[in-house]
Amino acid sequence: MDNNTSAHSSTEPVRIWDLPTRIFHGLWITFFVLAWVFHEDNRYLNIHVFAGYAFLALLLFRLFWGLFGSHYARFRHFFYTPGAVVTYLKCLLSIPQQITGHNPVGAWAIFILLGLGLVVSLSGLITLGAEERQGPLATLFHPATGLLWHEIHEFLSWLMLAVVAAHVSGVIIESILHRENLALAMINGNKQRPASTLGVPRHGKMALLLCISILLGAGFYFGACLPYESGRACQPFLGPKLPDNVLWREECGSCHAIYHPTLLPQRSWVKILDTQHQHFGEDLDLDTDSRNEIHNFLTTYAAETLLTEAAYKILRSIPPETTPLRITETAYWQKKHADISQLIWQSPQVRSRAQCEACHLDAAVGTYEDSAMFIPN
Amino acid sequence: MKHPLFASVLCLGLGCSLQTTSWAAESATVTQLLAEYQQAGAAEFSVEAGKALWEKSFPTADGKQRSCTACHHLDLSKAGEHVRTGKTIAAMAPNANSKRLTKLKKVRKWLKRNCKWTLGRVCNTQEKGDLLVFLSANQ
Ligand code: HEC
Ligand code: HEC
Ligand code: HEC
Repeated sequence: MDNNTSAHSSTEPVRIWDLPTRIFHGLWITFFVLAWVFHEDNRYLNIHVFAGYAFLALLLFRLFWGLFGSHYARFRHFFYTPGAVVTYLKCLLSIPQQITGHNPVGAWAIFILLGLGLVVSLSGLITLGAEERQGPLATLFHPATGLLWHEIHEFLSWLMLAVVAAHVSGVIIESILHRENLALAMINGNKQRPASTLGVPRHGKMALLLCISILLGAGFYFGACLPYESGRACQPFLGPKLPDNVLWREECGSCHAIYHPTLLPQRSWVKILDTQHQHFGEDLDLDTDSRNEIHNFLTTYAAETLLTEAAYKILRSIPPETTPLRITETAYWQKKHADISQLIWQSPQVRSRAQCEACHLDAAVGTYEDSAMFIPN
Repeated sequence: MKHPLFASVLCLGLGCSLQTTSWAAESATVTQLLAEYQQAGAAEFSVEAGKALWEKSFPTADGKQRSCTACHHLDLSKAGEHVRTGKTIAAMAPNANSKRLTKLKKVRKWLKRNCKWTLGRVCNTQEKGDLLVFLSANQ
């Protein structure tokens, strides 16, 4: 369509962008959008986090491809000094320069986007670890810093969105000035150039490898939900494995749901065991050995360990001078369940507030993942 | 719903003797307890007496009624529901739940605990024996 814009008389489509670069571009946009769409509602945190992992994996691939990829995809090829950017901008309106790869302004946008992508991903991983006690950095950061990291992550994401907007505007402006559809070139890989222009190979196998890796990652992550059955609750997002104890599970999980030690502070567990003969009207009647083993387990992994988000938030919500005997009487629990109607509590699937597993798929393991809760109907 | 069906199909396929023998072997627990109770002076045990006790209601001080079936099902082959917490309690009959009455410590503990809760006192050896022959009658 813009055959005549070039100074040369005869041009033909030359492949400038190899397939892996284009697929990276398309998928990076996809996961960026997905992460934005699923960032607000906690129930979809698993989708947000998966989008984040895929985003980071693609970014790492792009860094690799920037060193070992085809000609125009290599960082070396579009490394411009700030001076070059200024010169390019000055000439932009007078004598449009025909640049085959990335132009200096576009190149800078790309480096900034890659850099921001990296810090957005890292701050996301830290937020996941600090706030949700999840992922590779779980428990590495104190939960009290969670909110701060969350805000940093959000700020960086907004910043990146702004740079994306600038990048898109740049592409549009350039496309108009040079009368060349740059966005299309990033889809089909070709630009109209003199036949002598250097073209690049397709690198189809590498592109296939990239797609398969992302698909495998998705399969691994969401595998628990396959085969898909509508109405079946599934928990794709497994948290870190929490400590377990057979005797505790048997003794404390027979009359009611099992309550993980992380759900109450040490002093509560001590008091529950000290009053075992009047346990909410029941006599637990534990012998000394069993009592000691359970005591040990409960106090070692109590809320103070901050192993889960719930541990931290429950602990924080209990005034230091009180020793609650119920999880359901802590301020955090009450706040989180305030919106659930009486009808639901009395429904045959729930029956009691203490039946945590009626609504939390992972109650038995104690993780209380955002993505594992549902209200039965 | 799926599992009992599946189990019975499996049963037909394999011949159920396999399952029953394994429970019978482990029900050494019940045999041992019954022998203990008899040594302690209990008379012959009766399934009917056990059934009657299982279904009997005992009034509490505040005028409520308590019975074994408050948490377990009247029908031993069905799952019950804990009267206070709502937790599902698996069926009691060994032919519905082969893990039942196989662990000595567990049976001792719960017979003591549940009699205290239900009757307001521990059961004597006669009562415990009657209950056990009743509970294990459907193996
Ligand atoms: C003999 C039955 C029985 C056993 C065994 C038992 N509990 Fe309980 N537990 C109860 C009952 C009944 C309640 C009160 C339920 C209600 O009112 O909702 C309760 C409530 C609780 C609660 C408060 C739940 C809430 O509302 O937040 C905690 C915590 C608890 N139990 C811990 C334990 C621990 C720890 C053990 C093991 C050492 C244990 N329980 C063993 C019967 C039992
Ligand atoms: C009737 C269903 C239901 C029952 C029963 C129930 N929960 Fe929840 N729980 C929910 C819902 C729904 C939420 C989400 C509330 C929100 O995000 O505002 C939630 C949120 C939570 C959270 C916060 C999770 C987070 O990271 O945001 C914790 C912790 C929790 N529940 C623990 C428990 C425990 C412990 C029990 C049992 C003692 C229990 N819940 C019983 C429905 C239930
Ligand atoms: C308040 C609720 C409750 C009542 C009432 C109750 N039980 Fe239980 N029973 C339980 C629970 C909970 C368990 C342990 C959980 C399990 O094994 O599924 C249990 C377990 C048992 C077991 C052990 C089974 C095994 O697998 O070894 C026996 C035996 C038993 N009960 C007998 C009785 C008898 C007899 C009565 C009446 C005198 C009775 N129960 C009344 C709640 C109750």
